[in-house]
Amino acid sequence: MTNLSMTVKKNIPYIAISVLILALLAAVPFFSKPYTVVLLKNILMFAALTLSWALFSGPTGYISLATAAFYGVGIYTAAYLGKVLPLPVMVLCGGLASFLLALIIGAITLRLRGIYFAIFTLSSVELIKQVLHWFEITVLGTRGRPVVKISNTTVYYVVLLIVVLLMVTTYFLKRSRYGLAMSSIGSCEDAAAHIGINVTWVKVLTFALSSFFIGLTGATTATGLIYIDSHIAFDLNYSFFPTLMAIFGGIGNVFGPVIGAAVFSYLREILITRFPYAYMIIFGAVMILTILYLPNGIIGLVQTIKDKVLGGKDATASSRKVN
Amino acid sequence: MISFINILVNGLLMGGIYAITAVGLSMQYGVARILNIAHGEFIMVAAFLTWMLHTTLGINPILCLAIVGPILFVLGYLVRHYLFKTLKEKTPSPAAFEGNSMLMAFGLLFVIQSLATYIWGKNIVGYDFMRYSVYLGEIRFAANRLVIMITAVIICFLFYLFLTKTRTGKAIRASSQDPDAAALMGVDINRMLTLCFALGALMAGFAGVLLSMEYKLDTFMGMGHTIIAIIVMVLGGLGSIPGSLVGGFILGIFYGIVSGIEPGLTEAAYYLLFMLLLLFKPSGLFGR
Amino acid sequence: MTKRSVLFLVLAALLAAALIVAGCAEKEKTAEEKTEIVFGAARSYTGPLAIQDQSCFGPVYRLWIDEVNAAGGIYVEEYGKKLPIRLLKYDDTSDMNTMTNLLTKLIVEDQVDFILAPISTAFLKAAAQICNEHNFLLIGAEGGAKELEPLMKELPYFFSLLNYATHQVPPLAEMLAEHNIKTAAIIYIEDQHGLEYKNDLVPALEDAGIEVVFDKAIPMGVKDVSSIIEEAKSKNVQALLCCAYPDENFAVMNQCIASDYNPDVLLFGPGACFEVFYQIYGENSEGVMGWGAWNEKSSDKMKDLAERLIAHQGERNMDWWGMAIYYAGLEALQQAIERAGTLDHEQIRDILATEKFDTVIGELWFENGGVPAECYPGHVGQWQNGIFEVVAPKDKQTNKPIIPKPKWKPVTQEE
Repeated sequence: MTNLSMTVKKNIPYIAISVLILALLAAVPFFSKPYTVVLLKNILMFAALTLSWALFSGPTGYISLATAAFYGVGIYTAAYLGKVLPLPVMVLCGGLASFLLALIIGAITLRLRGIYFAIFTLSSVELIKQVLHWFEITVLGTRGRPVVKISNTTVYYVVLLIVVLLMVTTYFLKRSRYGLAMSSIGSCEDAAAHIGINVTWVKVLTFALSSFFIGLTGATTATGLIYIDSHIAFDLNYSFFPTLMAIFGGIGNVFGPVIGAAVFSYLREILITRFPYAYMIIFGAVMILTILYLPNGIIGLVQTIKDKVLGGKDATASSRKVN
Repeated sequence: MISFINILVNGLLMGGIYAITAVGLSMQYGVARILNIAHGEFIMVAAFLTWMLHTTLGINPILCLAIVGPILFVLGYLVRHYLFKTLKEKTPSPAAFEGNSMLMAFGLLFVIQSLATYIWGKNIVGYDFMRYSVYLGEIRFAANRLVIMITAVIICFLFYLFLTKTRTGKAIRASSQDPDAAALMGVDINRMLTLCFALGALMAGFAGVLLSMEYKLDTFMGMGHTIIAIIVMVLGGLGSIPGSLVGGFILGIFYGIVSGIEPGLTEAAYYLLFMLLLLFKPSGLFGR
Repeated sequence: MTKRSVLFLVLAALLAAALIVAGCAEKEKTAEEKTEIVFGAARSYTGPLAIQDQSCFGPVYRLWIDEVNAAGGIYVEEYGKKLPIRLLKYDDTSDMNTMTNLLTKLIVEDQVDFILAPISTAFLKAAAQICNEHNFLLIGAEGGAKELEPLMKELPYFFSLLNYATHQVPPLAEMLAEHNIKTAAIIYIEDQHGLEYKNDLVPALEDAGIEVVFDKAIPMGVKDVSSIIEEAKSKNVQALLCCAYPDENFAVMNQCIASDYNPDVLLFGPGACFEVFYQIYGENSEGVMGWGAWNEKSSDKMKDLAERLIAHQGERNMDWWGMAIYYAGLEALQQAIERAGTLDHEQIRDILATEKFDTVIGELWFENGGVPAECYPGHVGQWQNGIFEVVAPKDKQTNKPIIPKPKWKPVTQEE
């Protein structure tokens, strides 16, 4: 506990600034134009997805492409339960449904490593989509369903809350023994098992926890979609985007994924509104250049600049703190 | 009964198409360790080039193999030389390279796809080539699919000979099996990996030419073929040419049979098959 | 934590705060004189739906805007002059979330005057509700469906344009019965579109005395349908009706040829109605049917429209189902604006809902938010000598149907 309070003390400036930005974000709906709320809601949604992705894939090094599956489960929960349950309960249900699904997927993918894990999780999205689709058409005799619409401002606050929860969770998880176990899996899984870490348990539980947050996000943002079907809900882009955003921002610390999601989705917004036809090509080029020249993401770039500005001694010390 | 035999034959013929899409990817991932998600885009580019050559200049699609293939080879060479090689030099560990190269391939996918859309538009195109049936007794062969399958098998066979009999082929295999030892023996590993990636693109080129004889084309078609290629690759075993061929045939027949039982679940069934395979035999049928 | 790094952080935070505030700042809105009518479009310019922008509604609204602007614009009495049209295009990347966000942006932030419909029935469903919330007119485009009917009734500002199963199935069943078709098989795509057609076709065919041998759902992106075609062939089904999308329809068509299966009637949902179908299959397209339909022979006005569309695009990229209807919808909107003499949506809506308009497909009007069956230039088309002839209903026929359809050619027999 003393250890924890020490870390908190050391990082007071970060916390103060986070609170400041948070307060500013919370105040946005009172003074901004209506569309700004929609735009920020979208950015926060991607931030939530990216943070959730980084919660598991960051320290363990497993690239999960199942985000769309958990996001879709959240969306479907909203579609089924949105009418009968109040928003907070419905959102929680979405999270729990994703949590359970992640436990199952996590349990069966244990033996897979590296690229195989990525392909497997990717296929799981398609499998769920196809089976659900078939079930809806042949058994229920319908496809697609409406989602109860909730005001953008409410959704905005809920997503903001999810992002805050995620940041806090990521921060404390990392500094716990549990977080250490995760990063030791990332650096060498066999060694981690040897020193007595229950590798299976840590992996599955973290995977499920990250999916829980994805489910929450899906259930919340689904209320803006109005009408969904399995192809809309289980869109593979929602697997790819969070992964790219996290790498774009840098997965070293809590702020990386948020910055990645913010810059990436804002860039996307500008591209699709100003240059509708050029969106994909610029997007692709940015992606290639990022991976080539910013292997540690934007946060890595910021770190380098900061080190240069501050110079020698302090630089190494502070970079150790942030990372 | 005869209709069941025809379904099997058809599955076998379709299998030829699936196989040829997978060979190139299998090379690229099996040797160069690049899971080229943009593989389908290379196929798409080749298919569109064939369509252009055939409809504007009237060149026989079979002859296009000799024209389009080399173009794709050069494209693959450039991509590996300027992008993936640089990435490999900058990435600390092989595991990180696998992840990063896959993501870079995604970027490539977007770029190639949108460039293709600028050039060829978003419309569906296609041409009519040998769309009729040939009978052998009561057993029926779709002529274009028969041509595709035979060509695919010949290409795979020649490619296999190249890898096992020639000096360069042996060097490629050596660099995939034991890079350090190969380097000691004087093999330029980097050049081999680039060559290997380019050969993968060449195979994608052949696949594109052959595909265009059967399918209609649009610039968004790539992803579907990439997914099939990944499945066949895992089915057959990474880097194994005979594996890809047999994997393709198995998938073709499997698809035909499942669609006879419950057509609505065919897509789901092959994802399931694939996931089970990943779980229980990730090295594939012909894997090392 | 040194003072310097605190300073750095504070600077970073201030930068972030400045960005947020700047993003929120209200743009000064000056009360300028109205000089143009802005049409907003949140459509799919990239992604899997983009193909429809290129081949269905896209060429039509681009032609229409150019033509209206060449004529000086739309006359609006309120401003006492003709106002040219400006199109504000956003790319929804074929993503529902993006589409709903961008649509909101167009309406509340950009304050466009009118909205062009997004692509596909699902997107239309969501867009109709958003537009209606803001009392904004929305006339449908790609995407017509029975499932839109409740929306047409409930949402006063939504008008559906394209014809769908309800209109098309009865004339088809009547035509098949007349030509002594006794057995039929239905292949439908696993989706609302396919389901609707199947649900309408089965009773309609049975009422017409046609036995439905089987109906099978196929998934999107299916690559091999040989088993289904072999089954149809072995059961000697006379009419094969395939209610899927172009991807699957082309796969079924390929398999029919590969399996040497020659039904008397072969019909494809969206797919056969495109000119590219004829361009790909040439001779083999002869006798193949599709939903639709209109062509250069439907009327002089439609012949003229087809010529203008081809000239404007510089290629023969035609959709013989929807293009004329989409154009008619835009003409109706223009006439409603001119008659209302204002850009006020409520007044224009009332005119659209009650009055009749003179369009390229003849007289057009809306009943309960939809177009009555008799307004359409045709419901079933058939490729005959490179023309997508209207063959049903009878009073709109541009030529008699060819049933049974000619066999595939060339078929080689070898021992």
